[in-house]
Amino acid sequence: MNLWKDFSNGLIKENPTFRLVLGTCPTLAVTTAVFNGIGMGIAAAAVLIGSNLIISLIKKIVPNEVRIPIYIVVIATFTTIVQMLIQAFSPALDKSLGIYIPLIVVNCIIIARAEAFAAKNPVANSIMDGLGMGIGFTVALTIISSVREILGAGTFLGMPLFGEAFEPFLIMILPPGGFLVFGLSIAAFNKITSLRKS
Amino acid sequence: MRDYIRLAGILLLVCVVMAASLGYTNAITYDRIQEQIIKANDEARKEVLPDADAFEILDDNAFSEIKSNGKYNFVTEIYTAKAGGNVVGYAVKAVPKGFGGTIDVVVGIGTDGIIQGIKVGNNTETPGLGKNSATPKFQNQFKGKAWDNTINVIKSGTPKDNEIAAVSGATITSRAVTDGVNQALEAAKKLSGK
Repeated sequence: MNLWKDFSNGLIKENPTFRLVLGTCPTLAVTTAVFNGIGMGIAAAAVLIGSNLIISLIKKIVPNEVRIPIYIVVIATFTTIVQMLIQAFSPALDKSLGIYIPLIVVNCIIIARAEAFAAKNPVANSIMDGLGMGIGFTVALTIISSVREILGAGTFLGMPLFGEAFEPFLIMILPPGGFLVFGLSIAAFNKITSLRKS
Repeated sequence: MRDYIRLAGILLLVCVVMAASLGYTNAITYDRIQEQIIKANDEARKEVLPDADAFEILDDNAFSEIKSNGKYNFVTEIYTAKAGGNVVGYAVKAVPKGFGGTIDVVVGIGTDGIIQGIKVGNNTETPGLGKNSATPKFQNQFKGKAWDNTINVIKSGTPKDNEIAAVSGATITSRAVTDGVNQALEAAKKLSGK
């Protein structure tokens, strides 16, 4: 079924983080804690699904010459809506993600899928693509932030895992750690998927 | 010419529709967002002055008098805390400049001049370092300190009565928070007239 294919594409085959390597800026920044990684993933997924939906709906009337400003307006609108909802219903998430919520607008994953998929595919498929990419992104963020939080802070979702004696590897929650975990994750991902192919 | 009208027209249409949906979302979330802000502020004040049952914002005159003095430049809000109608202390909000930006600090000071608690709120300090200033371990150090002395930050060793230990690896953040607390202490002392 075509819909399933478009959905599962974003999970592994074209995972936005580990394969397409899009949206690396927020990935590196918010993966210092699992709560933040999951929150950001869900927020970005919400924006992605919404923007894919609208852009696919209006693709016939969007003139080529002004398509970029139109995509940006649509994406910015959804981002702002998601931000208002987060501020109203989860101030804890708003506090943790801070400026990275409005920055979802420039998350490359969203404009890339708008241009590469939603602009050329039917609405149902576009929604599936948004959902798959969104989940793929969230899972990737969760994996990276789990490693960074466990090693770098000794906690998982804020709960301490080891005793008082554990000295966390602080570098894991600083930028160098982010790059290290990200790169190693891509390597591991490639290894695992190539093993599965054979 | 026709072409430009078409392009502009479609852009306009999209913008109008998007703006309308934003306006709608704003309308349904505005009150709730305001509630959240008030709730967070009230909770912070209650945390630092647990005995209080009511908080009143300091009247404009008294506040301007304090603010007119440049040495209280971090102080942004002062609430009088009351319990059963009597003033039991002050909740002073100071916003010093930390390592990555400003840090919200709320200090609860009893009328006897003793800090009952501090709460480090919104900040953009480094997670795992400066952000650890928002933990009970760091904040509890300030409990019991009096407004007679300025509090100093030490990097190592055991802190004396008028000292607190900095967060390991986050001296700038620790000093910023302490600066905020010191100003709050002085402001409260001035207010109480002691």
